[in-house]
Amino acid sequence: MKELTLELALRMLEAAERWARDVAGFPCSIAVVDRSGALIAVHRMDGAAMATTDIAIEKAYTAVAWGMPTMLGSRWLDPRNVGQHIGDHALGMIGRGKGRLCLIPGGIPVTNEEGEIIGGIGCSGIPAGLGSINDTAVSQAGIVSLFED
Amino acid sequence: MKMELGLSVAKAMLKKAVEEARRLGKAFSIAIVDDRGWLVALHRMDGAPPPTAEIARDKAWTAASFRMPTAEVGSRYGDPKQPGFGLTPHDWNDRLTTLPGGIPVEVNGSVIGAVGVAGGTPEEDLRICRAALEGLSLKP
Repeated sequence: MKELTLELALRMLEAAERWARDVAGFPCSIAVVDRSGALIAVHRMDGAAMATTDIAIEKAYTAVAWGMPTMLGSRWLDPRNVGQHIGDHALGMIGRGKGRLCLIPGGIPVTNEEGEIIGGIGCSGIPAGLGSINDTAVSQAGIVSLFED
Repeated sequence: MKMELGLSVAKAMLKKAVEEARRLGKAFSIAIVDDRGWLVALHRMDGAPPPTAEIARDKAWTAASFRMPTAEVGSRYGDPKQPGFGLTPHDWNDRLTTLPGGIPVEVNGSVIGAVGVAGGTPEEDLRICRAALEGLSLKP
């Protein structure tokens, strides 16, 4: 895989939507961006709140911009880290990148077989606090679909 | 009952639009919004420049909000003799645009959403918009 095409993006979205609907049971928005962070496709499932669309796009963008899952950035924001280098670093990220960097879990970079980042996927809309049912898991379902069959 | 422009309808519309774009041999961004102007789905075809995604979304938002094609917003509010003259792209979230290529989706006399297309000439964008409307009848 050299790059993400619209066709691959739609395959990821279908799989992620299926997981959100059938396993998580919550509607959400899911976005796929290319390796420059530019949007390829976004779907807002029926019933998902309006804000989820832009947040999903921002999560996917941030995953590519950082080259790592947005979950890590949000972990750094832990209040126990404030005052330490890692926590202050995360606080300083807020509002950076023209306000597009999102420090909420749910965005994951998409890597190919060689480990190169070819894009990102982000999900928003699954309520927090449900353990393994979360935005990141929806995004993961999308990534898994790329490597099936 | 008023028909809702949900994700399944949006997908059917996008499918038709992308098919038409392939016939034209060009790459477009196509955005579908609901009657509140909220984005339901957006596809950027391979090769379409990244900014077209936001432009398509702006067109769809404008068409849904004004309940009229984006080109008409320009001729109606861009005319100094008309009330409302002086609308700028900075009005409303920076989304307002009078570029042709956004049209409302009307079913049984009420607007249920809009489609916005960017990536070609105004005529080509409108052609893709009209193709998207054909997808309405394919609704599962």
